[in-house]
Amino acid sequence: MEKFDCIVIGAGNGGLVSALTLQKKGKKVLILEKGLAPGGLATSFRRGRFEFDVRTHELCGYGGVGNNGEIDSLFERLGIDSKIEMMQAQETFHVIDKLTKDEYTMPVGVDHFIEKMEEYVPGSRDAMTTFFGLCEDIKDALSYLHSEKGTIDEKDLYQKFPNFVQLAPYKVDAVLEKIKMPKKAIEILSTYWVYFGSAIDDVSFVHYASIVYSYVLYGPAIPKYTSHELSRALENEFKSAGGTIYYLSEVEKIDVEDGEVTGVQTKDQTFATSHVIANLSPKVVYGKMIQKENVPVENCQLENERILGAREITVYLGLNASLEDIGLHHSTYFLSNNLNSKVEYKKMQEVFHGNVVGFVPNVINAKASPDGTCILTLTSLIFGDGFDKLVSKENYFDVKEQFGDYLIRCFEETTGISIRKYIEEIEIATPLTFARYTGHPSGAIYGYMAKGYDNLLPRIFSEEEETRIKGLRFCGGFGSRLSDFSSTYLNGEDVAMKTLGE
Amino acid sequence: MKDIVMEKDQKKVFAKFNDLALGRRDITKHSSKDLPKYSYAVNEFVSVFHPSQMEVVVTKIVEENENTKSFWIKREDGESMPPFQAGSYITLEVHTNGRIYKRPYTISSDTDSLKEYRITIQEEKNGIVSHYMCYDCKENDKFTVYGPFGHFHYSMIRDSSDIICLAGGSGITGVRSMIFDLLKSKKVSSIALVYGTKTVNDILWKKEFDELAKKNKNFKVTYLLSEEKRDDYPYGLMDEELLRSLNLEGKTFFVSGPVAMYQALNEIFIKLDIPNKFIRHEEFRDPLETDEEEIYELTIHQKGNVTVIPCKSSETLVQSMEEGRFSAPVHCTVGVCGYCRSKLLSGTVKTDTSALRKKDVDLKYIHPCVTYPLSDVEIELP
Repeated sequence: MEKFDCIVIGAGNGGLVSALTLQKKGKKVLILEKGLAPGGLATSFRRGRFEFDVRTHELCGYGGVGNNGEIDSLFERLGIDSKIEMMQAQETFHVIDKLTKDEYTMPVGVDHFIEKMEEYVPGSRDAMTTFFGLCEDIKDALSYLHSEKGTIDEKDLYQKFPNFVQLAPYKVDAVLEKIKMPKKAIEILSTYWVYFGSAIDDVSFVHYASIVYSYVLYGPAIPKYTSHELSRALENEFKSAGGTIYYLSEVEKIDVEDGEVTGVQTKDQTFATSHVIANLSPKVVYGKMIQKENVPVENCQLENERILGAREITVYLGLNASLEDIGLHHSTYFLSNNLNSKVEYKKMQEVFHGNVVGFVPNVINAKASPDGTCILTLTSLIFGDGFDKLVSKENYFDVKEQFGDYLIRCFEETTGISIRKYIEEIEIATPLTFARYTGHPSGAIYGYMAKGYDNLLPRIFSEEEETRIKGLRFCGGFGSRLSDFSSTYLNGEDVAMKTLGE
Repeated sequence: MKDIVMEKDQKKVFAKFNDLALGRRDITKHSSKDLPKYSYAVNEFVSVFHPSQMEVVVTKIVEENENTKSFWIKREDGESMPPFQAGSYITLEVHTNGRIYKRPYTISSDTDSLKEYRITIQEEKNGIVSHYMCYDCKENDKFTVYGPFGHFHYSMIRDSSDIICLAGGSGITGVRSMIFDLLKSKKVSSIALVYGTKTVNDILWKKEFDELAKKNKNFKVTYLLSEEKRDDYPYGLMDEELLRSLNLEGKTFFVSGPVAMYQALNEIFIKLDIPNKFIRHEEFRDPLETDEEEIYELTIHQKGNVTVIPCKSSETLVQSMEEGRFSAPVHCTVGVCGYCRSKLLSGTVKTDTSALRKKDVDLKYIHPCVTYPLSDVEIELP
């Protein structure tokens, strides 16, 4: 039986980074992936002459030359920064309020962002300046926390980062109100909430601020050849460093003896190892991969409390005309029924709720599709079980088309841009599609809901205590840094370093 | 940066901060100790729509004409077949000559009858699998099948509500399923079918189509014979004149048939300036035209194992794997589905990269099912 220092289950963002980090440190690592391609959700697919990114792979915290963000630094450490081409967006987002027809376009760069907000919401400058100041404090505190190995002394932390300790227990709205952010500015600033897959009044300020700050400070960036380029670069670097990756290899069992990991089994192979990093939901790992008597009761209790995050429906459109001909000018369109995110979240419990995010990669990367064409993807989050109640064996294909039709209509009506006549290729992904390729429970792709005690800091602070089976750790969207692309890459490295520490 | 004070009392500040971890511990104290639920309604749907493979049994064989047979298959486990979109195919695994072959066959039965699927197979010249199916396969024989797969479907969002189906030979199978589905569901306003065969005896389901045309004013069928001259049938191949006569403005074409038909039609589509958007076609593989037949060595790396087998310049790498008794991951065999996608480690090949991701073309990935060797070749299979 072949023995590995560490086996990584799942070649998603977190898994690839964990595996590469350990392999570079001289460990012998095996990745077992059930699918056919690296990257998990960071992958692409072809239809006709188009290549679609499965999910909008806008990385925050890249930055590039002269403005290195956390992600760029990570890619440097991993040795892939020179092997990928990233394209920087010129704006963060464009939001349209369906109710008032007001539109707001927010730029990249903290100063520009503050200025623009002042233009839209006179009198917001002071609060916005305070907001970004807090963002910086939080960013510093978080990097300190991620790099600290031992237990955290709150008094020491308070000395170093008083604002962080003060704000840590509070939600986004409480802090923004405290710093007297004008209501309109709160609404515009909250636009990114749909990227979190949780309601804004559930998300902790620390988490929200750290992500928004990365977007504004560095600007969103996308890989030139879709996220697949990034995933392949990580895979190639891993293989060049001597790592082994097997595809079509679904793990069925993790062997545990006396509370310690001893091996991993697929349908046709068995491997020995004392370390497993699982790039998948703990619900699946504890639910079916480990023999019942070896699953710690406390982990079952925790998993039974955790709520799956948002799911989504995405329509991928290959359009047979140029951006100019169609009139698409922004890379990211947030179409909102109501800019008040609490009202919007409530509305989004309905199945057809009309909140749509449109993404046009060609605005950032002119070569995202052949000359004279462009790509538009429309995404709508799903909360609640309305989708599950609607779908049956008999109507699934029709429901899919109905959703596609609805999202296109929402986009056309809100923006006044017609796209229907240009559609050359169309594909529609539902929770069923995501469940098929990832195996995630219910097709949830935002990990667990960032809610109450399952927010960023409770997860980070409890990680060691919850690691009860020796040698078993989790990375990726279900991990401690939560689910956006940048966080999963960074989390992959954290988890690898912790495994190395053992 | 100025200090923001949410809480003045320092003790309370620390209490709240520490509660972030402690509270999490408390909240789970009283929750269920059962193993967590990991499979939800959506996951159950995945296994209904996309079983990893199915064991099926042939319940009925129907001789459609002298060189074509239909096979009705149902699942051995008694479950119904997965719901499918008209135009989908399954991959049939056939064991014969001590070898394993996988071939895609379009489902020709109706989308609303899922007790069984029907696949219809025409015997091809030198076709090992079609020959086996048409001569050796008996009722009650068992097979493993994969799927359904494919993207040759009608879309209400993308396609016109007036469609023209151009089918040649056994390419009619998926089109048949599509026509019945679209008329029944009233998703289209009109369908014109042009169905080309060599002789009148080659026409499949003629009675069915004629009856359908009688019952539905919005469905018209034209038969076209290419090798038999008769007064009651038009003679020839699908050409520009025929297409023009169909009043094609703004209509969507669904094309399914032999490779020569696609090639001829594509030239006409270009000449008539019909945008890609209006042309949907079943996937196909360009045949290799070569007289040479060199024998090379194919080295395959897969999950830590290395296998060396001979390969021929006139055969795809997948065909060589079949002959070399190497079980390859294959579904579509026409270079589209990506299931056999491999990295070319060394050697030169003739291949079709049109369905690969752009980055994978740069990194020398290939689809072995559409790759012919021009030297010794070394690849890494998934």
